[in-house]
Amino acid sequence: MIRPFALLLAAPLLASAAPRAPRIVSINPCVDAVLARVADPAQIVGISHYSQDVRATSVPLGWAKRFKATSGTAEEVVALRPDIVLAGPHVEPATIAALKRMKIALVQYPVAESVPESMDQVRAIAAATGHAARGEALAARIAAAATPARTRPVAALVWQGNGLVPGSGTLTDDLLKRAGFRNMSAAYGLKQWDVLPLEYLVADPPRVLLSTAPEGVQDDRMTGHPAVRRLAKHITVAPYPTRLMNCGGPTIIAAMARLRQVRAQVTS
Amino acid sequence: MTDLVADTIALTLGGKRVLDDVSFAFRRGRVTALLGPNGAGKSSLLACLAALRRPDTGAARLGGQDVQAIDRRMRARAIGLLPQAADVHWDIDVATLVGLGRFAHRGRWGETQADRDAVAAALAATDMTGLADRGVERLSGGERGRALLARVLAGEPDWLLADEPLASLDPAHQLDVLARLRGVAAGGRGVVLVLHDLHLAARVADDAVLLRGGRVVAAGEADAVLTAPAIAEAYGIDVEIGRTPQGHRYILPVAR
Amino acid sequence: MKRLTLGLIVLLLLAAALSVAAGKVWVPFDAWTADDPRSIIIVELRLPRTVLALLVGSALGLSGAVMQGYLRNPLADPGLFGVSSGAAFGAVIALYFGYAAQMWLLPGFALIGAGVTMTLLALIAGRSGSLILFTLGGMILTSITGSMTSLAISLAPTPFVSSQIVTWLLGALTDRSWDDVLVAAPLIVLGMGVLALTARSLDALTLGETAARSMGVDPARLQRLVIAGVALTVGASVASAGIIGFVGLIVPHLVRPLAGNRPSAILLPSALAGAVLLTFADSLVRLAPTVSELRLGIAMSMLGGPFFLYLLIAMRRRLA
Repeated sequence: MIRPFALLLAAPLLASAAPRAPRIVSINPCVDAVLARVADPAQIVGISHYSQDVRATSVPLGWAKRFKATSGTAEEVVALRPDIVLAGPHVEPATIAALKRMKIALVQYPVAESVPESMDQVRAIAAATGHAARGEALAARIAAAATPARTRPVAALVWQGNGLVPGSGTLTDDLLKRAGFRNMSAAYGLKQWDVLPLEYLVADPPRVLLSTAPEGVQDDRMTGHPAVRRLAKHITVAPYPTRLMNCGGPTIIAAMARLRQVRAQVTS
Repeated sequence: MTDLVADTIALTLGGKRVLDDVSFAFRRGRVTALLGPNGAGKSSLLACLAALRRPDTGAARLGGQDVQAIDRRMRARAIGLLPQAADVHWDIDVATLVGLGRFAHRGRWGETQADRDAVAAALAATDMTGLADRGVERLSGGERGRALLARVLAGEPDWLLADEPLASLDPAHQLDVLARLRGVAAGGRGVVLVLHDLHLAARVADDAVLLRGGRVVAAGEADAVLTAPAIAEAYGIDVEIGRTPQGHRYILPVAR
Repeated sequence: MKRLTLGLIVLLLLAAALSVAAGKVWVPFDAWTADDPRSIIIVELRLPRTVLALLVGSALGLSGAVMQGYLRNPLADPGLFGVSSGAAFGAVIALYFGYAAQMWLLPGFALIGAGVTMTLLALIAGRSGSLILFTLGGMILTSITGSMTSLAISLAPTPFVSSQIVTWLLGALTDRSWDDVLVAAPLIVLGMGVLALTARSLDALTLGETAARSMGVDPARLQRLVIAGVALTVGASVASAGIIGFVGLIVPHLVRPLAGNRPSAILLPSALAGAVLLTFADSLVRLAPTVSELRLGIAMSMLGGPFFLYLLIAMRRRLA
């Protein structure tokens, strides 16, 4: 009897002693994408300037415009008085050193190389914002979207401008497998990130070529190459926007949707 | 104690023997001409005297000491070189140019009165005082030659060595420079000139060293050296030697 | 001459003041006291950045003036020796292997790169003091280190590392701290002291090397001083800020009409003017209306190119 009564009396004290949500500055557009789904808008005091650029953003522009954007320098970050700074793997050494000197917590998230790793990052970011439950929810949705397909794997290759190919050990590789493809980069003997010359592609083409021309551009120099155009008559060449490759996290949901869509087109 | 002596100098450059057993005692207060055809070794000898080249055997000696062994600054104060190349890489004014000649004298703390006096005297000796403020690139050929000579004089050296100081000057300026060099020697310094032109040498030289193929053909007083047989041996030409009514010596090449 | 020095010092103070005040974040004066958290921006970011800009600018200006005097060529630039390229390659190795996360490793590698390159140059040029050997040796070293840097970029494990390397190479003073000043300052000051020792010999070189030697200049000692001085100043500059070109090239030309053509007369003004130029440019890149700062090295190139065109036209008119 005494205990609930004591708790009731103590409630106001407990409430006022509850920590407020930490002030977050993100200097990475992929982290912004996660924050958009797990953080309170009030606690986001800074996002990456890339998120406000239509060509590079991974969040809806309307959402991004509500927040202050920085170019990621320590000077701008300090002015926002964050409790914690969230960043991707590549931050300029001078900025890291400056933040350390000014005793501002910086957490860097490396590029996720698989769906489970991406889900862990989502949970970690959500925990940093003080909303672990929302992180769990988002991770569950990602898992659902990335459920492995039960169809026969079809040979595919993601081919970026200049011939850049994501190989084994990348997130894109994991997504391809789950959507019912077999990443042909290993067959070509390519490394984790490598360049595939056009000749090899034409000599031994995959069944599906996912070409990532930049947003709003029909064909770049490579995908518009006559040799590739001729290939398109025999194999499926499907556009795969770079925007879907920039980040993991929530973007996985859209990426998987697109990949499954392409997979469904392949009948033979 | 500042006699300049070539002591059995031998020098090989690029496999070729340019100087072979060259000896001579240069005398102060006199103009000595180093003469000979192309490739005789005149400039190489001058370079050895100025410590710009190290002889294989023998040595150039100043006051008995090998010039290579003398401290750079002391040597620069004693021997002034007017090189053949009349480069002045930056468009500085004449006073600054002449002031460069004080390099070996300048202490740590900048210009002294002695420096200023030496520069003024050098400008006066070359009639360049009025042009002291003019930029080098706006000087005529003759004025430039005089400015460069003033630079050497500003260093107040005991010995003035000059490599073809008359090249590319017109006759009037050639005579002018020769007269000034005579004046320098008359003032007590030693003057050693590499000269191409026999007749100019004839006009100015008190002593002469006649070279051919790196060896001394004749050396000593100019009258004794500049004889038809010696010149024939060194240059391979026949000459007519005489004196003008005013007493100027002349040498005219006549035939090969 | 004294008036020029005073004038440059005044400009320098103005440029420094602008640099402390300039940035993407406006810090009002009442926030400069220690209580306000924004004072951190001034004390820990803007002040060291300003000091570093002054140091690097003066280092590059002075070494440019010395190089032009030594090579007797108004087109000489400290980069000709290969030291900036070598230092950059050292830093790139640190970035490539991911060492750059440790504070001192990036500048340390850059300085090692500078030292090794300069030692090689001294070995190639030898005791001959020949300018042609010297210049060619510098070009070869620039070429070799440059191609190895490109190799590192192309072999980078991920596209992100290669872009990080390229970005660093473009030169910047962003987010530099007092630690960077601590590394750079002693080396730059020492290097500038060594370079100052060459002043009178450079004057003597106006008449060519033969005349200079006859006047008592020691060409081997001069070469050692020039190499050591340039290695220290430019090496430390690259270690702090990446590759920033054109300062050493432009500044002596700006200064000559005012200070005269004598090599020793332009040394101090070049150092001061270099500091003014770089600090001012660094303020401009922060005030420009772009989201992120323009890279300082790029800004200097954009200034340097047109200036050079102007120089060429002026020279052509003079020769005509």
